[in-house]
Order: sequence, then C-alpha cells, then structure tokens
Amino acid sequence: MKNQNQKQTQKPKIISIRKSCSADGTGLSHYILMDKKAKK
Amino acid sequence: MFSTFDIKHPDYVALIEPDNAFWALVEKNSAINDKFVNAYKNKAEKFSDEMQKLRFGLALNAVYINPTSRCNLNCVYCYIPQEMRKHGDDMSRDALFEALEKLSGYFKQVMPENRLPQIIFHGAEPLLVKEVIFPAIEKFQDRFRFGVQTNGVLLDDEAIEFLTVNGVGIGLSLDAPIKQIADKTRKTWGGDSVFENTIKTIHKLKGYDGYNVITTVTKENMHCLCDMIDFFHELEIPAVMLNMVRCTLPGAREVKPDDYEVAQHFIKALDRTHELYKKTGRKIVVANFANILVSIMAPMARRLMCDISPCGGGRVFFALAPDGGMFPCSEFIGLPDFKGGNLFRDDINTVLQSESFKKVTDRKIEDIKPCDKCAIRHFCGAPCPAEAYEMNGGMNKIGAFCEFYEEQVRYAFRLIADNIVEDYLWSEWDKDTVTLFEASALNRL
Ligand SMILES: C[S@@+](CC[C@H](N)C(=O)[O-])C[C@H]1O[C@@H](n2cnc3c(N)ncnc32)[C@H](O)[C@@H]1O
Ligand code: SF4
Ligand code: SF4
Repeated sequence: MKNQNQKQTQKPKIISIRKSCSADGTGLSHYILMDKKAKK
Repeated sequence: MFSTFDIKHPDYVALIEPDNAFWALVEKNSAINDKFVNAYKNKAEKFSDEMQKLRFGLALNAVYINPTSRCNLNCVYCYIPQEMRKHGDDMSRDALFEALEKLSGYFKQVMPENRLPQIIFHGAEPLLVKEVIFPAIEKFQDRFRFGVQTNGVLLDDEAIEFLTVNGVGIGLSLDAPIKQIADKTRKTWGGDSVFENTIKTIHKLKGYDGYNVITTVTKENMHCLCDMIDFFHELEIPAVMLNMVRCTLPGAREVKPDDYEVAQHFIKALDRTHELYKKTGRKIVVANFANILVSIMAPMARRLMCDISPCGGGRVFFALAPDGGMFPCSEFIGLPDFKGGNLFRDDINTVLQSESFKKVTDRKIEDIKPCDKCAIRHFCGAPCPAEAYEMNGGMNKIGAFCEFYEEQVRYAFRLIADNIVEDYLWSEWDKDTVTLFEASALNRL
C-alpha cells in the first residue's frame, strides 16, 4: 500500500519515451514468432 | 503539430506526432511547455529518419517457404484456398536445396555477416514433407535460422527430437482450451477433431523455449480468450499470439468477430496475463500485443511487421510456393495476381521490384482514408493489404479491424500511463536499445 501511495504522489505530469536501436532485420509477419535460436 | 488522442485514461491524454511516431502522455490539467517542445524539436529529424528507414529502408531478412501446398486439415478460415490444400503440389528435396543455395547467396549480399537470415517452413502443412525439409535443415543450419509453423498432427516424438535438438523454432496452432470450441475452426477434411492430439504435443514441448502457440481469433472463440490465457499459462508456454483472423478469403469472413466486441475480449485477456503474472511471478507474453508496445516505445525494435505501413510483405520477407512462385507474403499465396516471379528462374531483386510486389510495398498509410488523418497510423499500419484488396475492394482501403487496432493502442498507452508496461513484455526487450528521449530526464535538468 505504501508503495502504491508513493507511486501516486510521484505521478509525472508528462510521460514520453523514445528508444532506438539499429533495426537488425528480424521482422516477420504475424504467422510465426521466432525469438531466438532455441536450444533445448 | 501534435494530434490529441483520447486513451480513455482518467488522468492522461496522448499527444502524438503521427508522421514520426513521437508521443507524450500529458496529465489532463497540465500542458507541454517550451522546454519540452524544444527538446522534441531537437530530436524530430532523427525520429523521422528512423521511420523512413523502418518503412522504406530495410533489407530482406526472411523467407516463408511452403514446401507443400497440401494440408491434412481443413480449417474454416485458412487463407490457402481449399483446392490448393487438397490437390496441391510438393517441393522436391533437390528443388528445396537449390532454393536454399540461391537464397543463401542472396542473403550474403544484403545482410550483415553476424546475422543469420530466417527460413520458416510454413503453410499449408510443412510436416507432410518432413523427408524433404529435415535434410535441408541439417545441411543448411549454419546458414539460416529455421522455424516450422505446424498444425502439430504429424509432430511425433521423432520429429520433436529432431527439431528441438537442432534448435528449430516451432509454432503450433490451437484456437481454444476446450475441444468443442477448438473444433469449430480447426478440423480434418472428414470433420474430425485434432484437439487432443495438439494438447498432447504441447505437453511434450514443455520446457523447450523455442516454441510458441498461435490462436487465431474468430467469433467462435473470442469469448474464451481469458480461459485460453489461463490454459497457456498453466502449460508454461512462454509466448503466444492472439491473431485476429485475416478476412482475405470468404471462408474467413464467415467467422469474423465484431470489431469492437473482439477488442473488449482481447483486452480482458491481456488483463488476465497481468493478473497471472502478479499472482505467480511468471509471465505469459502475448507477442502480437507486446509488439505494439515496442512499436510505441522503440519503433525500430519491433519484431512483427504487419502493423506498420508498408507492411513487411515483399520487402522484409516473401513467401515461396512449392513450384518456386514468389509472393509478397503467405497471405497472398492464393491470389495469382500477386505472383512476382519464380525463384528458380528469376533474379530476386527483380522480383522484389516487380509490379506485383510493388502493389504491396508501395501501400502507404498516407494514401489510405481515413488512416491518412489518424493519430496512431504508425502503431497500426492498416493491416492487411491482402484483406483490404479482397474484402474492401482495393489496396488503398482499410483492413477489417480498424476499431480493434485503435482500442489496442489505447490500452497500450494506458499501461504506459500506469507504469506497468514491463509486465507485458519479454524480459530484456530493450537490451539493444538506447534512449533517445525521456520526459523525466528533462524534468531533472
Ligand atoms: C496457414 S497455417 C500454416 C501452418 C500450419 N498448417 C498451421 O496451421 O499452423 C499458419 C497459421 O496461420 C493461421 N491462419 C490461417 N488462416 C488464417 C487467417 N485467415 N487469418 C489469420 N490466421 C490464419 C493458422 O491458424 C496458423 O496459425
Ligand atoms: S490453418 Fe494450417 S492446418 Fe489449417 S487448413 Fe490452413 S494450412 Fe492447414
Ligand atoms: S499485413 Fe498481411 S500481407 Fe502484410 S505482412 Fe502482415 S499478413 Fe502479410
């Protein structure tokens, strides 16, 4: 509860974030998901 | 310069610069100040350059190979025409080897050395020709990352062993946690259920981190998406996709859910993932939604390319039919007008520049009404061109789920406002990113 209250009081007036990376070209369509090379 | 977008949050409203996808959530009784505007202006060109690169400057990095156009199932919404799935042809082993050699040579020219291009064995049902694809995976595994998308019927112990030992990505399809509902959309040609079989396979794959499940969302299963999440979480599936059915072919349109209604079910399912995470400490990521969050916070870090225009079809990947026919995306494989050439006969770059491919790669959201005026146009992308063309009568038409995408973006912004975004994303999602802009840092100045 205490934490929540702290969060409440710290609510920012503006939130805005933009991150960037070099697009490494791993984009796919929604017909498959491949995150990483998987090894069991 | 900024458009206002109501995110249906009690405290915040979004301001968005649609062209470069910059945004700010502003408390309802506050306003942005000059310091903020100037900081933004300093970075605006960089943001625009990024979007330009993402939309027009990426190189090919993946190919969906259909090693057969036959399928052992007859799902009601399948985007591969029935005739093709019933009587279609297979790729021979030699032809597949030849295709992979040619693709490998091409990728060497366009991709950085430290990156492997991806090959996905895809629909119809690739495991009908295991004897063709498994040797290819063995032979070419140093040159590509491989994945298989399958209905799972033929995924026996031997196949699981082969695929997991070789680190091949495995995608399975399951539409509901209950047989009666799952069977409404996915069944054999004779109408038999494959539900039990799929569940058995999912159990066998437990612990393998290279697999995931796709649920295709229709009017038949939208009511049980929350149960689906419970079920997936219980089975410890790390990532799933809840994909809206693409309404390219008439069969799919028959099970199209209502746009707004499906958004509410989808959002409840996302809420459920959060409850489960808080309760158990274990996440279940809905990857297609996570991709929207990423596209908002770090546009270049997105992984799925349906929700940006032009979409990834025909430029970031293409689909290969068993006879070597090249299509911008699997979604177009039943539409002969979109065949851009043949891998065995034509130069790949020439096909990428063909009229058929250009119809898709030139489809810009700025040319689509009402998307050209929409604040969230780069978090939606107006998918899907195949759907727009077949269902709504042209490339420059919207797709089937405008309202759904709007609600999805609103929800994503609400999570950002409530500072709980990380709970919906895979860990280390931003490991390779740098922060270009952060309002909280400005306040500290
Ligand atoms: C066409 S199948 C090919 C691979 C395999 N036969 C399977 O079912 O997983 C690939 C994925 O596309 C999904 N799919 C098929 N038709 C679709 C449509 N019209 N809209 C959205 N997804 C669809 C399937 O449910 C499956 O998850
Ligand atoms: S969705 Fe997959 S399993 Fe179902 S008919 Fe299409 S290709 Fe076959
Ligand atoms: S929007 Fe449609 S055509 Fe484009 S990548 Fe996605 S499924 Fe393929």
